[in-house]
Amino acid sequence: MRQRILGRVRQALRDRPPVPHPGALDTAAPDAPPPVEHFADCFRAAGGEVHRFADADAARRWLRAFAARFDSVSHGTGVPRVLAVPAPEGPPREAALGVSVARAAAAQSGSLVLSSRDGRRTQLLPPVHVVLVDSGTVAGTLGEALAACRDDGGAALALHSGPSKSADIGQVMVTGVHGPGRVIAILLDDWPAP
Amino acid sequence: MQIHSREYPKRAREGGDVRASVTGATLSFDARRRAAFAGVAAEEWRVWAEGVKTHLLTHLDRYLEEAEARLEANGARVHWAGSQEDVHRILSAIIERRGARRAVKGKSMLSEELEVNELLEKRGVDVLETDLGEYILQLLEQPPSHIVGPAIHLSLDEIRRLYHETHGTELDATPDELAGVSRLILREAFLAADVGITGGNFLVAETGTVALIENEGNIRLTTSAPPVHVALVGIEKLLPRWSDLAVFLQLTARAATGQPVGNYVSMIHGPRTADDPDGPEEVHVVLVDNGRTDVLADPEAWEALRCVRCGACLNACPVYRQTGGHAYGAVYSGPIGSVLNPGLAGLHAAMPLPFASSLCGACEEACPVRIPIPELLLSWRRRAVEAGMDSRAKAGLLRAWTAVATRPGLYRAAGAMLHTLPEPVRRVPLPVVGGWREVRADPEPSPTSFRELWREGIE
Repeated sequence: MRQRILGRVRQALRDRPPVPHPGALDTAAPDAPPPVEHFADCFRAAGGEVHRFADADAARRWLRAFAARFDSVSHGTGVPRVLAVPAPEGPPREAALGVSVARAAAAQSGSLVLSSRDGRRTQLLPPVHVVLVDSGTVAGTLGEALAACRDDGGAALALHSGPSKSADIGQVMVTGVHGPGRVIAILLDDWPAP
Repeated sequence: MQIHSREYPKRAREGGDVRASVTGATLSFDARRRAAFAGVAAEEWRVWAEGVKTHLLTHLDRYLEEAEARLEANGARVHWAGSQEDVHRILSAIIERRGARRAVKGKSMLSEELEVNELLEKRGVDVLETDLGEYILQLLEQPPSHIVGPAIHLSLDEIRRLYHETHGTELDATPDELAGVSRLILREAFLAADVGITGGNFLVAETGTVALIENEGNIRLTTSAPPVHVALVGIEKLLPRWSDLAVFLQLTARAATGQPVGNYVSMIHGPRTADDPDGPEEVHVVLVDNGRTDVLADPEAWEALRCVRCGACLNACPVYRQTGGHAYGAVYSGPIGSVLNPGLAGLHAAMPLPFASSLCGACEEACPVRIPIPELLLSWRRRAVEAGMDSRAKAGLLRAWTAVATRPGLYRAAGAMLHTLPEPVRRVPLPVVGGWREVRADPEPSPTSFRELWREGIE
């Protein structure tokens, strides 16, 4: 079947003049704000929450206070030990809170880039998702962010750009349909050394 | 793909009960699309995207081979399917080998085209649609009526009644409550499923990556939770390079829903690696032809293969807004459906869809890859007339009109005559325009003709 389909494609293209690739398109806006601020604006516009901290100590204080409300937490495999949330660890399908690490982020589209190496169930099953982001990995455009993650090595990458939502029921917006209803990006300007 | 378009004129006129929902939803989609493109160099993006897709299509054999090689290097299994029967054979083999009893599905127009649910049910597999709109339609045993919003023809009250009957919720339940009921059922289904089936918005040849756009997270779960993931991908869905993907993701989302990017994008290279704590152990990518190489060979219609299935042309179309998608009687409705269906299933099967348009051009203006839809509609119309598929009465009437309108003297005389026709003669039922006159008052002839007004000088 492979040869038949390829043969049919070649037959179809026999008299079709080939058209060259137009090259890469730069989507950067000349007047865009600095990437970290721009990311925060776009991520919030889609319903996400953003907190920015100077270093791991400040972030840890916030995480400790925030996590007090949750019975159980599921950590992604890439979460630095110093940023782990002090709550009982549970399997992703039972945990009330998921904590992941972003591989990168894109300001223009307000997207977090997540890797399957960090654990997909942790990114999807708990109703609240906290994503730790190294401010240095926030790119201006989605193209730059994806270029940086091309050789991630895992089976899959994903973009999460806000809480799960749907307008399929009578065109009324509902959040938290299948994925987390709350997603919180924690930006760290000084990422802890491993 | 089965097409039931013959009844189009009748069903289009009966579309009154879906009009409010469809018009409201499409106008809102269309307004959000315009707002989203106002913030970027929209024309530059569209011209670029047209160029990339045209390059892809004119080198499709090379990119199909590259995609296959990359996917296999990533550990995915690649299958080639010429027809619906091939797809069914491939899926049956996977189901049998895995002993699969339960499947979850992400929204996929290609799977509708290939009648995948019917096959799974026949093989004794419990299949659940997991997109909220598709889940509702599965309960109602209805096909999707829109490429992006499959259930936009249903009002909140209709969905409340359905959930009341099927799930026992209150008749005044909020959309949040209805979504909550669905979440509980589908969450269990994701975790219990033996196989997850999706389509594919894009397949990047350079990296062997299937990309899927959505908002709910159901596709993320369909491709992450079950041990097997099968992606059905039309051969025209390829993109040459990894760097092309970022722009196409944003272009498609802006055109479809006015979002900067889909809320969730899954980019799947292959099965779970040694570094991955979870994810499917098998990933199958089925490359589907099913009529696409016929369209590629067509010197005009091949341009429709650039389509990214954003639905922007449906939202922009004044005809679609009135009728909704079901009237078209085909998986692909609206303007793009009217040019794709004749190519995929044959013009005869898709009649009279190329005529279901006023040729106003709004579809082409909205299209993010600049498909010349009105031109393609005209091309199919020309072929239909040449093949004698169109109404002979209409052809005769138009020939008569042409004969009169291209002869000034005759035109003048005919105009004057029309004027003096007695009332009962003017009310005689006419072919072709009969349906139009059913719901409209006949115009009263003006006492003075346009020519006379012109001579006297129009104020």
